[in-house]
Amino acid sequence: MSALRTLLKYELLQLARDRRTILLSVVAPLVLLPLLLWVMDATGEADRARVEDTPVAVWVDGPDSLWAATMLRRAQALPDTDSVEPLVLRRVAGPVPDSLIGSDDAHLVVRAPGEGDDGLRGLEVLYRASSDVSRGASQRLRDRLREVRLDIRDSLYAAGGLPVEPDSVYPVRPDNIAAAGREAGAWLGVFLLPTLVAIMLIGGSLVAADTLSGEKERGTLETLMTTSVSPNEVVAAKGLAIGFVALAMAVLNLGNLGIWVGFGLMELPTQLDVQLTVPGILGALVLLLPVVALLSAVLLLVSGWARTYREYQLYFLPVFLLGLVPAAAAALPGLELRSVAVLIPVANIALALRDLFADQADPVLSALAIVVTTGAAVWVALLARAGLSTERLLSDSAADRAELTGGPALFPYRVLRWFGIMWVLLLGSSMIAPEWFELRGQVLLNLLGIFLGGSILMTWRYKLPLREAWALRPVHPLVWPAVLVGAPSGFLLGIGVAEFAGIFLPVPPQVIEAFGQYLLPEGMGIVQLVLLLAILPGITEEIAFRGLLLYGLRRQLRPVALCVVVGIIFGLFHISLFRILPTAYLGTVLALVTLLTGSVFPAMVWHAINNSVALVPTAAGWGLFESGVPVWIYPIAFVGLVGSLFFMHAVGSGYPGVTKKGGAESGGERTDRE
Amino acid sequence: MSDTMLEPVPLAPITVEVEGLTKSFMEDGRGEVRAVAGIDFVCREGEVFGLLGANGAGKTTTLRMLSTVLNPTAGKARVLGFDVETHGEEVRRSLGFHSASTALYPRLTARETLDFFARVNQVPSERVKPRVDRLIERFGIGEYADARVEKLSSGMKQKVAIARTLAHDPPVLIFDEPTVGLDVLNAMSLLEIVEELRSEGRTVIYSSHIMSEAERICDRIAVLHRGQILALGTLEELQDATGLHYLQDIFVKFVREAEAERQ
Repeated sequence: MSALRTLLKYELLQLARDRRTILLSVVAPLVLLPLLLWVMDATGEADRARVEDTPVAVWVDGPDSLWAATMLRRAQALPDTDSVEPLVLRRVAGPVPDSLIGSDDAHLVVRAPGEGDDGLRGLEVLYRASSDVSRGASQRLRDRLREVRLDIRDSLYAAGGLPVEPDSVYPVRPDNIAAAGREAGAWLGVFLLPTLVAIMLIGGSLVAADTLSGEKERGTLETLMTTSVSPNEVVAAKGLAIGFVALAMAVLNLGNLGIWVGFGLMELPTQLDVQLTVPGILGALVLLLPVVALLSAVLLLVSGWARTYREYQLYFLPVFLLGLVPAAAAALPGLELRSVAVLIPVANIALALRDLFADQADPVLSALAIVVTTGAAVWVALLARAGLSTERLLSDSAADRAELTGGPALFPYRVLRWFGIMWVLLLGSSMIAPEWFELRGQVLLNLLGIFLGGSILMTWRYKLPLREAWALRPVHPLVWPAVLVGAPSGFLLGIGVAEFAGIFLPVPPQVIEAFGQYLLPEGMGIVQLVLLLAILPGITEEIAFRGLLLYGLRRQLRPVALCVVVGIIFGLFHISLFRILPTAYLGTVLALVTLLTGSVFPAMVWHAINNSVALVPTAAGWGLFESGVPVWIYPIAFVGLVGSLFFMHAVGSGYPGVTKKGGAESGGERTDRE
Repeated sequence: MSDTMLEPVPLAPITVEVEGLTKSFMEDGRGEVRAVAGIDFVCREGEVFGLLGANGAGKTTTLRMLSTVLNPTAGKARVLGFDVETHGEEVRRSLGFHSASTALYPRLTARETLDFFARVNQVPSERVKPRVDRLIERFGIGEYADARVEKLSSGMKQKVAIARTLAHDPPVLIFDEPTVGLDVLNAMSLLEIVEELRSEGRTVIYSSHIMSEAERICDRIAVLHRGQILALGTLEELQDATGLHYLQDIFVKFVREAEAERQ
């Protein structure tokens, strides 16, 4: 604890001593921002004053100039209002050559060519956009001419006995039931977080750039690592320092803004006229803290990843832009906190803040948003800590070794890259392929081309041992009855979990539906359906995901994380948004089955049964669950699934190198120590 | 190994033990390189133990494993009985690591540097200030104690760097090629400091490729080549074993013989 305090104190002390950084990154923006606004304001004011003070020289030209002059007089005579700004016209004698239009000789030229082909008289206003007076005067003149024309039109209506005012056609009365403060609050809620995130990312970066990458570059990090502080303390201290400075910058900038507004040097947008209450401000602070933590952790991760200042700066811009996207979530129309959005870090805080300022805060969901974003912060901080393992700082020897030897040792470092490419291919195929093939063709292309083809390519490229990499191991015969019970139970429980979750957290109905059924292709016989959408996916997707993906990731994650990660990646491969969650659930269960039995075969059968249960009843028109699944089925399904998994745990032989039962891995390729 | 035959009768207690210590890296174009290939030695209290070797012999890698910055690929190393792999924190608390490339924080003063390193090395806070004051006095940096390190001369910086290595009063010190880049006078004062540290009963592991330094201050010398210890003993023992007088000739003889064997 005291080491942490020391680290933090000296981290901040060193920043405070860095006069150049403080001056350029902290003081300069504080002064420059209002200065910039003030200059913009002043020049706009000066422009306006010039147009208003200068009598605008107009040459009226053309055969219909007499009429044109009448129109200009009427325009000039209009009283000044909000939409009709002051304008003083001064007629000058022509002719004025084109090259002089816009000069002080003739700021404007108004041409009246007489009646056109449509039988209407018209005016042409010639101006030069590069001259402020000419451009401004032209705009004001046209605004006034518009008013003149509206007046003429209204008198024509009146002469014909038609109503002139819209309300005399029929009245419409607006009635804003939101308090003025609420409306402003909603507006503030939308813009506050993106602004703060931007300021905090820039502010936190002052420390982050220097903290790990800078220490690496200077060589002080190695010195620090030979002292008795632990990497945990280093990460915590540096993360706190980043967060502290980020928060300080946010407060400084807001305070700065307040001061300038107070002095009347700047005007806030009218929408910002919001009455902040003490609970409101406290609530906003509580909501902001997890965001500060997450941003700090992300900056720390980037700093630990980069080896030099330069590299850090290289990574910063994409991180900055990516950080702004979720922060701007509240600006998206129709996005509610009461949706899956509550699971997206930062975006959920943005929505909660918007609701808070609009006086519609939902305490339960706001708390969930805080938990989710805090969780993300902790996770990123742990990643940053892993990056600080001294071994990696000095030499990335494990990866280097694999790079050189190639073969199976390199596969774990490349497996995610392969699945990334496969995902892009799948996305492309789902976007393009429907135009080329019918569904049958697309399914075959994805399953055989991408999943099986990719698996074969990976196996060949890294010379993987086929039996281990594809988990082609025989299983205990008693596993099979467990699969027969587990697969339909797991399927039904999935529907149940989705519906249960819906009680607390509205799940879009599409998600529940996606648990229950697949898109049913038209005109496909049941046999063909089962073959193409149950058995074939069961084989090919299992080889790819529970075979190679699981094999590739098996040493990098602990068993539970391994199942979930494999499940989530599997979910992401089901492009349609609403199928991600159900398939991620299925994928996780299948990964667990593979780990318990040590073989891909039970997962294949399980997968095929799952898909068949989802497809066949609907396709055959049995109408089993047309009015939803009866509730009493869920406890049975739960017992069925858990029982089946326990049974597999009891009789299965486990996955070598991952589960205790699976034992150590055979083959001499395992080089790292336990 | 036969070097055990050359070891003197143990007098002082053992502080550092190294058994079969190995570190492998993968290097471009060379495949697996064993930077340290199974070395054994022990160091005792009040001893300056020299690791003598050319650049790339494995000195720095060995010392980084001892200071827990790198994990051994195989073998064991213990400092004051603490295993470097399982008791990293205790090991780091027991030793001070100094090298020519050991950097200081430029924006801290000498006093702050010492305070910082004393505290992160868990010196109890009431003992920090007396400790810092003593180090400032001992190394004669009082005049500059409150100037930022970036403004100090290289000789002063070196003194601050050594003082910060001693901030937590560690019984074991590692000097990794400390005289690289120093002028003669600074190098000489560094050697004097090392001799002082020995007289205080500390163990100093001193790596170098400069023979005259090793001849002058090392109680025992290990000749390191391609990650292996070719010979280990006092200067006299090495002289007797080879029949040569100068350490430089002794070193060259061992290395040439090893190279000839490789052919």
